[in-house]
This record gives sequence, C-alpha cells and structure tokens, in this order.
Amino acid sequence: MLRVLRPLARRLLAVERTPTYYLPWLTGPGLECVLILNNIESRFTTPTDDPIPVSAHQYDSDGTLVRRYDATLADRTDAAEVRVQPTQAGCGIVTVDVSRLKSDLYVTLSDGEAYQVTHGRGEFVETYPLWVRALVILVGGALALVGRTIPAFTRYQYVYRQLDYRSHVLLMNLSNVTNRIRVSARRAGTRSCRRLVTLPPMGTRLVDVRTLVDEATAIGRLKLEANAWFNLYLVGAGSADLAGPLSIMHVK
Amino acid sequence: MSSELSPLLSVTFHEQGCDHLIELVHQRDEHARRQLASVDVAVYDADGKMLGDIPVDPRDEVVDLAGRLAGHGLAGERVMVVLDSRYDERAFPYRPHHYAFVHPRRAAAAPLYYAVNAVLGGVPDRIGATGINNFETYLFLRRHLAARPGLALGNPSRFATAEAQVFAYYGAQRQTQKVVLEPKRHTEIGLPATLEGEPLGRVEVKSLFKLATYVLARRARSGELVLFDHLFTYFK
Repeated sequence: MLRVLRPLARRLLAVERTPTYYLPWLTGPGLECVLILNNIESRFTTPTDDPIPVSAHQYDSDGTLVRRYDATLADRTDAAEVRVQPTQAGCGIVTVDVSRLKSDLYVTLSDGEAYQVTHGRGEFVETYPLWVRALVILVGGALALVGRTIPAFTRYQYVYRQLDYRSHVLLMNLSNVTNRIRVSARRAGTRSCRRLVTLPPMGTRLVDVRTLVDEATAIGRLKLEANAWFNLYLVGAGSADLAGPLSIMHVK
Repeated sequence: MSSELSPLLSVTFHEQGCDHLIELVHQRDEHARRQLASVDVAVYDADGKMLGDIPVDPRDEVVDLAGRLAGHGLAGERVMVVLDSRYDERAFPYRPHHYAFVHPRRAAAAPLYYAVNAVLGGVPDRIGATGINNFETYLFLRRHLAARPGLALGNPSRFATAEAQVFAYYGAQRQTQKVVLEPKRHTEIGLPATLEGEPLGRVEVKSLFKLATYVLARRARSGELVLFDHLFTYFK
C-alpha cells in the first residue's frame, strides 16, 4: 500500500527527488577525514579515458554549505584524495557530482596510524516546494509538542552499547525541509526511550547511543520515523569514546 | 510468511579475542514479524576441517558469535563461519545480507560494523554476482600509515578447489599473488603497504566464483584489527 501511496503523495505535494551521491564526514581532534573520489567501475563500461573533473560540496551539521572541493581524475584508475576541512561541529554531509563518474566513493577516518572506511550512497535529495515546507513546519511543530513527527519514512536499526565500545548514530537529513526524526529505542522487556531530533535542511546530528539505551551493556532496537527523506550511518567508538579512534559504516 | 523461501549463504571470519555480534536480520519491524525461516551455522579451521555446528535459533535477532564459539576449544585460531539461511524476501527488502559488529577485546580501537559476505550458493542475481568470473576491487588510502593491510579469503564451496589471483597496484606497478584454496579452507595474505616507495592504491581479486573476501588491516604495533570490509563487485 505504501509503495502506491508514497509516489502519489509526492506528486500531490510536488516533491522533487534530485539524484545525489552523498557521504557522511566526521572530524575531530586527532581524527582526519579523507574522501577517495574515483571512477574505477567505469573501466569496465566506458571506452574513453579522458581526465575527468570532479567536485564535492561539504555541508556542516547545520546544513550550511561550507566548502567546495575540486579535483581531476587523470584516468579511470586514478583516485583523488580530498581531505575534508574540520569545522567546529565536526560532522556533516558531502555531496559529490557523479554525473561523469561510475563507482562507489569512499570516506575514511584516520587516527594517523590506521584508518577505517565506508562508502557513500547514490540516492537522492528531496526538494519540497515552499508551501509544503511551511505546512511541514506548522504540522510538524504541533506534533513535536507531544514528541511526535509526521511518520513519512521509517527505518529500523540495531545499536550497541557495551562497557568499552559502542555504536553511535549519525542522522542525516536529505531534504530541503526541517526534518524531525523520532528515535525510539527498545530492548526486550523494557520500555522505549524516545527522542525527537530536529535537523535543518541537509543537516546532521551525531546521536550518542547512551541517550537511547540506558543500560551499560545492551543491544537496542531503533525505530526511526521522519517527516522527510533521511539516512543514518553507525559511528563505532572504543574505550576513549569520541576522543579516540572512530569507525563509520553504512546501513541498509 | 510466504511459502517461497530464498537461500542465502554467507561467510565471515572470527578471531579469538574479539567480541562478534551477527545480525541475522538487519532491519526489524517493531512487531518482530521479520525473521529467518532457518539458519545453519558451521565453523571451519584454516585447513577446511569442520569444527562443529553452532545451534542458532532463527528467531534470534542478534547472535553472540564469540559466546557461541567459546566452548569449541578454538583458542588462538581464526575460523571461517558459514551461515546457511533460508528467508522470506520481506526479511531483506534490499540485497540480502547479514550485518555484524566486531571488536577486539581490551583494545582501544573502534568497533567495526560490516556487511557479511554473501557468497556462492546464495542467490547469485540478488547478490550481484551472476558472471562466471568474479572480479572484486578495493581502493586504499594512498598514504603511509602504520597499519598492515591484507586480505582474508575463504572458499565456501563443497567440492571445488578455487584459485584466486590477487593483484595489488602501486602506482604503475602491479604485484600478483596466486591463492589456491581447497573446499572450506581459508587464509589471510598480507599486502605490502608500499612497493619501491609507491603506496598501495588498489587491490583486485579474480576468481571463478564468489569467494569470501574481506579487506583487513591490523595495527602494526598490536596486530589488532582496525579494518574489516567487503570488496566491490563491479564486473558482473
């Protein structure tokens, strides 16, 4: 039913979906974030081997576009390493123009000794017309008073809280409308913890798993409901938590 | 639940001293309707010898692999863990994959969350590997860091010996290794971080069918696992 209703609702609301390749980024003291931009998959599909310009846009956690990066791939086996400039907020979204690229792009987190890596997603960003944005702000604001959101999109995800390691959640708003994401965490036999996370357009928020799972060692089941398109990545932290080495990983 | 079930064969590697949690289903609705129809878990040593079956209830959501293996006398060994699942397609709305969370105990390293390899014997068109030849690619950060990269490879087949060619690229240079694995055997090979001053930029694995393949890296001083990731199948 939802498969039919969603496209219909999008059409009625005049929501546009712009194909977009995006990756998360994270920086911090001793934590360097580098993108690996490449066109490696195209060596099986594209006959030409001309240099390809590639650009990336860095959005801060408040959704502000803070920087543009330009690079050139000399050929289909070349890779451009782009160091993401840290900001005070320390997390956000990078979008990459992949109109001439065909490959997965990587984001790496390095502590100077080793690094961890994941890839981005070739999906879309939703653009809502002004009147719909106003409506979402109005209705969403009213629902937020009772801790609710418009449940247009739902995702489920396990999270882990252990004594010396854990998985935090990086939430990403992939739309031009304020996105209220209701995060409910459940454990077997326990009541839910609930949080309402409000993200500005193209904004991100790193949610500490300890605010979702209250027991020292537990696996939490998250249900995430949002009023606009969003995604999440898991951020792994060891004994030093966010001050130590971090990992980042996509989910389905 | 539908009467039509799909198979999924998945392989991961487990090392002693690691906590290792495997999500049998990745996303779970709050009414807990999505679950595997069945799952058989078998463990093999590096020589392909079956060490035992691990009883797992398909209704479980997350399996504590380290806890289940604790009684199998595997101290000091890395083992290949084969998960043979049957599932209703609604359990995996996208590509079928188990996911897992691994962390070396008492290490300061970050835990690693990863997609478990779907391999030969799964549903080839759904894991995106329908070609006779299987060709996987992975790119590395081209800067010298004090971590040792490598590849973990396992042959999940029942009867066929597999030969894999591993090509490591260093600028314009290429280094080739050949790995032969009899059924159920697995191994880890090192990839030099540099070759004549050029950093490792890319690795490709070519084999006749989809092996279990993970790129990994270990911290040079402690040997602890700091990278454990799937390669990318582009040539299908």
